[in-house]
Amino acid sequence: MSSKTSKGIRREKTLVFIDKNRIFILFGVVFLFMAIFAPRFMTTFNLTTIMRTTAMNATAAIGFTMILIIAQLDLSIGTIITFAGVVGLGLKQYIGYGGSIPIAILAGCLIGLINGLLVAKAKISSFIVTLGMLTILQGAIYTITRGNSISLSSPDAFAVSDWLSKMLIPLITPRVVITLILVAAFTVFLRFTRVGRNLYMVGGNRQTAWLAGINTDLYTIVTFVISGFTAAVGGVLFAMEGAAATLNLGDTSLMYVISAVIIGGTAMSGGKGGVLKSFFAILSLDVLYNGIILFGLGNEVKIFIAGVILATVVLYEAYTQYKHDKTVGQRSELLKEVDQLKEKLRASKQKIAG
Amino acid sequence: MEQAKYEAIKPGVLRHSVVNWVFVTIGVYLIAIVLLVLGIVLQLTGTINNFLTAQNMLNIIDAVSMLGIVAVGMAFVTYSGHYADLSVPTTMALTGIVAVEMLKFGFVAAMLSAIVVGFVVGLINAVAIGKFRANPIIWTLAVNYMSMGVIRLVWVNKQIYPDMTASTVRASEMFDAIFRLRFFDKIALPMVMMIILVIVLQFVMRRTKFGVQLKMTGAARTPARFSGINVERMIAIAFIICALTATIGGLAVTSLNRVGAWYNGKGYEFKAVTAVVIGGVTLAGGRGSIIGVLGGVLVIGILNNILTLLGVGTFSQDMIRGAIFIIVVFVNARSLRKMGRDYE
Repeated sequence: MSSKTSKGIRREKTLVFIDKNRIFILFGVVFLFMAIFAPRFMTTFNLTTIMRTTAMNATAAIGFTMILIIAQLDLSIGTIITFAGVVGLGLKQYIGYGGSIPIAILAGCLIGLINGLLVAKAKISSFIVTLGMLTILQGAIYTITRGNSISLSSPDAFAVSDWLSKMLIPLITPRVVITLILVAAFTVFLRFTRVGRNLYMVGGNRQTAWLAGINTDLYTIVTFVISGFTAAVGGVLFAMEGAAATLNLGDTSLMYVISAVIIGGTAMSGGKGGVLKSFFAILSLDVLYNGIILFGLGNEVKIFIAGVILATVVLYEAYTQYKHDKTVGQRSELLKEVDQLKEKLRASKQKIAG
Repeated sequence: MEQAKYEAIKPGVLRHSVVNWVFVTIGVYLIAIVLLVLGIVLQLTGTINNFLTAQNMLNIIDAVSMLGIVAVGMAFVTYSGHYADLSVPTTMALTGIVAVEMLKFGFVAAMLSAIVVGFVVGLINAVAIGKFRANPIIWTLAVNYMSMGVIRLVWVNKQIYPDMTASTVRASEMFDAIFRLRFFDKIALPMVMMIILVIVLQFVMRRTKFGVQLKMTGAARTPARFSGINVERMIAIAFIICALTATIGGLAVTSLNRVGAWYNGKGYEFKAVTAVVIGGVTLAGGRGSIIGVLGGVLVIGILNNILTLLGVGTFSQDMIRGAIFIIVVFVNARSLRKMGRDYE
């Protein structure tokens, strides 16, 4: 830090650039590695499978990223996914997909609205609210379905599923298109609109944002609604997959989405991150897991590696911050002076002793 | 939040201070009493039977004793201002499965190795969160994943049974019997352990130097550090206590299920957080007590008992429990705010 030559500055800038875009680099590395070493990785079928799994988790990750950006937490996305899936399929026999899917998505928005109101207006910690909501929804799901998973077998049950999986051009199905549109829309929204930039401000420093005239409560509520919306869309996409909704449809998604969003560089402390990064993080994890399976390794390796990656990223970020906190505001010339004084003190002590 | 600062000073708001004081001070036991009265009324009107019997009261405590053991440890993490330790479920599973595996070296070796494993997990959390200030929720989630991976890798998705791994029949029988031990034919060992832990940890939290320093750390980390408290060590000890109580809980669950498996302890993290927070330990840290947590555990127990006697299904119970959880936290936080003790 002491000598800031132009070379040193350039090096520092490169490091910051790498750190900011680490998820794209990670994706490149993982993808290249799998493309070269994993058997049968670069087949159209396999890549389509990856895109399909990514599509579903990535939609839910959009909302979760925004929640983290405003420095809140939403543990209920997993159960919203399941709930939307169950509602979307369960109501089909009464009102058809045309009615059931919008209702499922609206239900997700409504749950998000309740979460948001409780967090913003009743001022309860979002950890508590969404944890309570998780418990309530889990109960609701099991009560509605009486503990049976829903699977439809009528001839037209797969209509939506078939349409979603229709290959438009290689790798791109309507399912992927929906996700990509959502990702693109929310990326533009967060990056280039005033409201989107304000969200970062709310997350970075709520009080300052409030003093700057931003309606922080409204922003919080709307973000929770968006989170409910994207989770519900993800849930519907999940359920339409096989025209079946198991009651633990979204259980793994919660952990999956949380780790991906964090790995993507969105901070729990708020005010940092982006939807595109989360999308690539989900994609990287999917590619990695897919590769692990292709190598013939089991589910247990997958779980272990997921944990190791998440732990590494969290520890790395914490350590960077820790070092930053230790050195921030330190002036090297003053520290040098302190060292000299210490040296003098030691010398004088020795003199006294001697 | 900004408005709240001024609300607290307005004299009109203090009118309700008595009500708020009751909520904050007696808090959870008030709910427990209300639930007990509700149960008695329901019994008198003949809706439910056998609520107010000694056996049923014992059953209530018995049913939540393992949750209680885990929750009192979790309370220290919340008390230190670090939300929750989400690695509890796999810590329970891991220590249990290690104990079953080590039964081949005898009963004592099994217990000791479980405690060592629990301590190591706690230490890992302690270093990452205490020293390097990793985000507690995400870090413990990652540790949860990793230990789950370890269990699945080492035992390849298998469950192991004490009578298959133990070298002698005696060791396996002892492992099965230890948590089934009953005093006077009625009071089970987990219940006794819970009560001992509550007493000991309440003392630790309120009457020792560590407890007081932890309170300061939880309430205001930076001022605590500037006043010469070793905050890193305080947080580390909190996480280690949590891991050790999870170890006891894990051993109990494994012993009672007679099987070591990856799914032992599933769901305990959220249940424990519910009990801790209902019990009045706020997520902001530095407030609450272990006696309160015991109250939270008892409220969950009584509620479940009444609902079961009413014939409400397990899943509808979930919904009611979730709703009560949110309401209790809301009332508690609101009272604190109105009393001017909390701004957020």
